[in-house]
Amino acid sequence: MPLTLKDIARMAGVAESTVSRAINNKPGVGEETRKKIMEIVRQYNYQPNQLARGLAIKETRMLALIVADLSPADYQIIKSIEAYANEQGYNCLICNTDNNLQKEEAYLQLLSSRRVDGAVIIGGDLANINIINTALNKNGLMVLVNCLAEELLIPTVLVDNAQGGYLAASHLLQQGLKKIAIVMGSSKEFLESEKLAGYLQALAEYGLEVEERYILETDGSREGGYEGFIRLLEQGDLPEAFFVTRDILAVGLIDAIKMGGYLIPEDFSIVGYGESIISSVINPPLTVVAEPLEELGRYAAKYIIEVINGRNPEEMIKVLEPVLKIGESSVSRTE
Amino acid sequence: MAKVTLTNVTKRFGDVVAVNNANLEIKDKEFLILVGPSGCGKTTTLRMVAGLEEITEGTIEIGDTVVNDVPPKDRDIAMVFQNYALYPHMDVYNNMAFGLKLRKFPKEEIDRRVNEAAEILGIKNLLDRKPKQLSGGQRQRVALGRAIVREPKVFLMDEPLSNLDAKLRVQMRTELSKLHDRLQTTMIYVTHDQVEAMTMGDRIVVMRDGLIQQVDSPLNLYNNPVNMFVAGFIGSPAMNFLDAKLVKEGETYYLEGNGDFKIAIPADKVATNPEIKSYVGKDVVFGIRPEDLEDAAVVEKPVTDDNSYMATVEVVEPMGSEIYLYLTANEHSMIARVDSHSTAKVGDNVKLYVNTSNLHVFDAETELAIL
Ligand SMILES: Nc1ncnc2c1ncn2[C@@H]1O[C@H](COP(=O)(O)OP(=O)(O)OP(=O)(O)O)[C@@H](O)[C@H]1O
Ligand SMILES: [Mg+2]
Repeated sequence: MPLTLKDIARMAGVAESTVSRAINNKPGVGEETRKKIMEIVRQYNYQPNQLARGLAIKETRMLALIVADLSPADYQIIKSIEAYANEQGYNCLICNTDNNLQKEEAYLQLLSSRRVDGAVIIGGDLANINIINTALNKNGLMVLVNCLAEELLIPTVLVDNAQGGYLAASHLLQQGLKKIAIVMGSSKEFLESEKLAGYLQALAEYGLEVEERYILETDGSREGGYEGFIRLLEQGDLPEAFFVTRDILAVGLIDAIKMGGYLIPEDFSIVGYGESIISSVINPPLTVVAEPLEELGRYAAKYIIEVINGRNPEEMIKVLEPVLKIGESSVSRTE
Repeated sequence: MAKVTLTNVTKRFGDVVAVNNANLEIKDKEFLILVGPSGCGKTTTLRMVAGLEEITEGTIEIGDTVVNDVPPKDRDIAMVFQNYALYPHMDVYNNMAFGLKLRKFPKEEIDRRVNEAAEILGIKNLLDRKPKQLSGGQRQRVALGRAIVREPKVFLMDEPLSNLDAKLRVQMRTELSKLHDRLQTTMIYVTHDQVEAMTMGDRIVVMRDGLIQQVDSPLNLYNNPVNMFVAGFIGSPAMNFLDAKLVKEGETYYLEGNGDFKIAIPADKVATNPEIKSYVGKDVVFGIRPEDLEDAAVVEKPVTDDNSYMATVEVVEPMGSEIYLYLTANEHSMIARVDSHSTAKVGDNVKLYVNTSNLHVFDAETELAIL
C-alpha cells in the first residue's frame, strides 16, 4: 500500500498540506520540518512514483473519465463532472470502453503514464483487476462512480439503489395501495437485486406478506414489460400498482396496460426508475425514482481533484440517495 | 488449496532489482510470512504471485500449473490489504456478498458461502448490521469474509493489520492464525512487523534488498540466524554485535574483544561446528542477544572469567518485569535485558554474565553465521 500523505503527516506531526508542500518542494515549510518529512518519506520508501508525481512530472490538468458503457445517465454524470472540473481549471478526456478490457487497459495507461492527473471510473459494477492494480501499483489516482471494489478502498461515489426501491414502494404504500407488483430485470443483476431489496423492505415495514407472483423477473426489455403484464392478466390476479425498475420495461408494461383498456393511474398506479429521455415521453407523465446524477458528477469531480491535490475526501465512500419525482402515473385512484 | 512455487524469480523495475532470483516453495495449507525492511521486495513478490506484476525472469506455479501467463482473475487467489471498502449503505451480508452477486452466482450458493464465512469468523449474528454498527475488529472480519467467500486457493495479505490500533492488532493476529487453522488454505502474509512474523506463521521468509536471506520456522530463525542481517532483524531489542578476534588457548577457543572481554566458546559448540577452527587469529563478530547478558550480581549461575566481562552502565531503563541496561566497554556498546532485582545504576561498572550456550559467531567479512 502506498503511504498516504495523511500517514506521513501523522508520523511527522504536521498538517497534510505541509507534507504536500514539502514533497512538492513548494515554499512555506521550515527546513527542519521539511527534513523530518523527507526522512519519513525516505525511510518508508513507499512508491517513489507517487512522490515523483509532484517532483518531476508536470501536472496535466487533465482528467480521464472512463465509462464502461455510455448510458444516458452516464452522459448526465459526465456533463456534471466536466462542468465542475472546468470551474477548477481541469479538462476532461472522455473514454468509452464498451466494457472491453483491452480498451480499458489502454485508457488506464493514460493514468499510469501520467498523461492525465487522475481518472474517474464510471459504472462497470465491479472494479476489475486492471483498475485495482492501477490504483494500487501504479499509484493511479482515481475515483469510482457507481462501481464497487472488493479488494481496496478507492474513493467512491454511489447511489443507494435499495433506497430507490424503498422510496418507490413506500410512495405507493403511503397511498393505501397494498397489492404492489415489481417488474424488474433479472434479480441476479446486482442493481436489480438492490431495488428488489428496497421494495421488500418497504413491504415488510407495512407488515405485508411478500406475494411471489407479484415479483416479475423479466429479461429487462420492452417485450419483457409487456409480457409481464400479460402473465398477471392470465393469472387473473392483478395488482393495484406497479414498481417498474427500468424505463424501457415501463414502456412495455404501459403498452400492455393500455392495450388491455385499463387506465393509469385510475386502474394501476405506476412508479418507474430513472429520469431519462425514454421515461420522459411516457404518457401520463411517469412518477420516477430519480438518481441524483448532477450531484453524483459534482462529488466525483470534487473528489478526484482533492485526491490529486493530496487530500483525502471527507467521506471515502459517498452514498447519495435518490429522490422521488412525482408525476401523474402514481396518483391514488381514491383521490 | 494449493502449494505455490517460485523458481528463480526475478523482478526488475528499470535498474531496480526488486526481487532477485527468489526460490521458494510454499506448502499447501501453509501460513507463510514475508518479512523484511521497507523496499526489500515483499509486496512485489506477493504481487507477482497475484499476477498483478509481470515476472521478469523465472516461473511461478500455483498447484502444478505455471501461472506466468495466467491472468489474475483466473489464478484463484484472494487479496486482502489494509485499506478495504465497507459500503455504509449495505449490511454485512451484502458487504460480503456483492462480489459474488455481481459475478452472478446463484443465490443459494451465495447464501451458503456467506453463512459459512460468517460462521468461521464469528459474525453470524451481525449479518444484517450496517458497517457503522460494527467495531474495528468486526469490520476487519467482514473484509476477510469478502475474501473467504471467493473460496480462493491462496490468500495473499499485504500488511492487512497495519491500520489498526495496537490492541486490535494483537487481537486480529490471533484471529488470523485461528482463521488459517479453520480454513486450511495456503496463506502468504506480508508484514514488516517482526512480532507479527514471529507469532503468526508456520515459516518466515526474511528478505533484504530483493534477496531471500532465510526461510525457516520462527524458532529456528531466532536461534539459528544464517547471517548478521537476520540475527539483527529478528528480536527486539536487536542482538548485540561485538567485534572480536578468535583465539585459541590450550584446547579452548575464545572470543577476544581488544582487552574488553574474553569469552570462552563452549566445547560442544566447537565440536558441532568444527569449521570455526579455521578462524583462529581472524576477525569475527560476537553476537549475543540482550536476554543472554545478565547482571552477574543477581544471576544464579556460576560466574567465571570465561563467561563474564566488565562494562559501564550508560542508561537504565526499567521495563516492569526486567530492566534494560545500555552499556559500554570501551568502543563496544551493548544492551542487556537483566533481572529486575539488579541494582545497577548509571555510571556503575558492572560484571556482565554471558549465557555462552546461546552465543553466536559471524564471519566479519561475509557476515555469515559460523556458529
Ligand atoms: N512500480 C514500481 N516501479 C519502480 N520501482 C518499484 C515499483 N514498485 C516497487 N518498486 C521498487 O522495488 C523495490 C521493492 O518494493 P516493494 O514494494 O516490493 O517493497 P516492500 O518490501 O513491500 O516494502 P514496504 O515494506 O515499504 O511495503 C523498492 O525499491 C521499490 O521502490
Ligand atoms: Mg510493501
